[in-house]
Amino acid sequence: MKIRLNTITFILGFLILNSLVVKSQDLDALLEKEAKPLTTYATATFKSTRIVNGHSIERMKKKQLEFRVSHRFGELNSGSYNFWGLDQGTIHLALEYGLTDWLEVGIGRSTYEKTVDGYAKASILRQSSGAKNMPIHLSYLSSTEIIGYNTNQAMNDNFSSRMSFIQQILIARKFNESLSLQLTPTFIHRNLVPTEVENNDLFACGIGGRYKLSKRISFNFEYYYVYRANASSLPTTYYNPLSVGIDIETGGHVFQIMLTNSQAMREGGFIGKTTGDWANSGIRLGFNISRVFSFSKH
Amino acid sequence: MKELYLIAVFCLVFISAGAQNRYFTKDAKINFNSSTPIEDIIAESNQATTFIDLDKNELVFSVLTTSFKFRRALMEEHFNENYMESAKNKDFSKAKFSGKITSPIDWKSEKAVVVEVKGDLSMHGVTKPITIKANITPGKTKILANAEFKVTPEDFSINIPSAVRDKIAKEVTIKVDAIYAPYQQ
Repeated sequence: MKIRLNTITFILGFLILNSLVVKSQDLDALLEKEAKPLTTYATATFKSTRIVNGHSIERMKKKQLEFRVSHRFGELNSGSYNFWGLDQGTIHLALEYGLTDWLEVGIGRSTYEKTVDGYAKASILRQSSGAKNMPIHLSYLSSTEIIGYNTNQAMNDNFSSRMSFIQQILIARKFNESLSLQLTPTFIHRNLVPTEVENNDLFACGIGGRYKLSKRISFNFEYYYVYRANASSLPTTYYNPLSVGIDIETGGHVFQIMLTNSQAMREGGFIGKTTGDWANSGIRLGFNISRVFSFSKH
Repeated sequence: MKELYLIAVFCLVFISAGAQNRYFTKDAKINFNSSTPIEDIIAESNQATTFIDLDKNELVFSVLTTSFKFRRALMEEHFNENYMESAKNKDFSKAKFSGKITSPIDWKSEKAVVVEVKGDLSMHGVTKPITIKANITPGKTKILANAEFKVTPEDFSINIPSAVRDKIAKEVTIKVDAIYAPYQQ
C-alpha cells in the first residue's frame, strides 16, 4: 500500500511537471527553436558593379544583363573656350551579363584609343553571417583590352602589340548598412608601351569605398596607387587616379556622377595612363548610367 | 517492479499524446504579389516555419524576409535593402504572424473548412492586428492550410518614394500555403 501511494505521488508529480514543461514552451518559443539557421549574405555592398572607374565586387546575378553608358567630359582647366571641359567627351559602352550567380562576363568599347575590352569577374568568397561566417567578399577579375587606334605603326604591324591584360583581386567588406570598403591589388601587363623606358608590367593597388547618405544615395571614392620604378625618367608625367562620386539609384537604374582625373574608363587606361592632376584642376566631370534587364523566367 | 513498468508506459503514452496536438512545417510557401500594369512584382519563399496547436487553436508563422526570391535580382536586393530593411535588426529580418482560430473547427473531421484567424502580423518592426480567412483541411498525418489576404505597405511603415509609387500596388496580396506534419519534440 505504501508503495502504491509513492507511485501515485510520483505519477502525479510527473504529470504536473510534464504539463508545466509543455505549457511553458509556447508556440513562439517553438518557432525560435525550429527556425532554420540560415546564412545571411551581405548584399548591396556597393550600388553598382563599379565604385567609380574601377570594378566593385558587385556583379550581375544569373540571367541579368546590364547596359552601361559611361561618359567623361574634358578637363576642368581647359578654359572657357572649351567650356571648362564640357565641349569634349569620352564614352565607354558596355554590356555585362551574369552567366551564373557568381560569374559575370562583359564586353565594352571606348572612344579613348578606340579600345575594345572583354572581361570575366568571378565571386570566390561572399561575406556572410549566421550559419556560415565569412568576414569579406573576394572576387577575381581578368580583363583583356585591345587598342583599335590605327596611328601607331608598331600596332599596325603586329596585332598582339595592341593587347593589354589586367588581373585584379577585389577584397571588400560591408562594415555596416552605410559603410563598405574595398582593396584592389592589380597587375597589368601591356604588350606594347609608348616608350622604351616604361615597364610593360605595372603593379597597382586600389582603395575604394562608399558611404550611404540616404537609402538611395551614396558617396563614393576611389584611389589607385600605381607603382612606377622609373617615374622621373618617363617622358609623360602620370598621376595616380583619384575619383569621388555620388551614386543615385532609382529602381532599375543607377546613376553615378563623379569628379576624376582619369579620362579612360577601363583599367589599362585609367590605372596606366592617367595624366590629369588634381592639384592643377586636371579633373573631369563624368557620369555612368546603368540599366539592368532580366532574362530570368521564374 | 510492475508499478514501474506501468509508470513508464503511462508516461510514454502521455508524452506522445501531448506531442500529437501540435503540427508544424519548416517549408510552408508564402508568396506576395504587388504588381501593377507597369511592373510585375512577384516573390516567393518556401522557407516559412509554422506551428498549429490543436488544443488551443493557436497558429504561428515566421519567415525570413531574405528568403523571398524574385525574378529580378535587383528587385530582391531593393526589397531587402530599401523596403524591408532586413539587415537593420532581428525584428526587421523576418515577418511573423501569431493568432488564434476563432471559428469552430473539428480537428477529427478531415473535411476542409473555412475558418477565421485573428492575430498580430509583424514586419518591418511594426505589429498590426489582422483577421484572415483560411482554408484548413484537418487530418491525422497531415493538415493542409492556405490563405489569401491583403496588406498595405504604409501600415507597416514601409516607405515607398513617390518616384516608384505607381509601380507598386497600393495593396499587396499575400498567399500562404502550408502542409503540416505532427510535431515530435
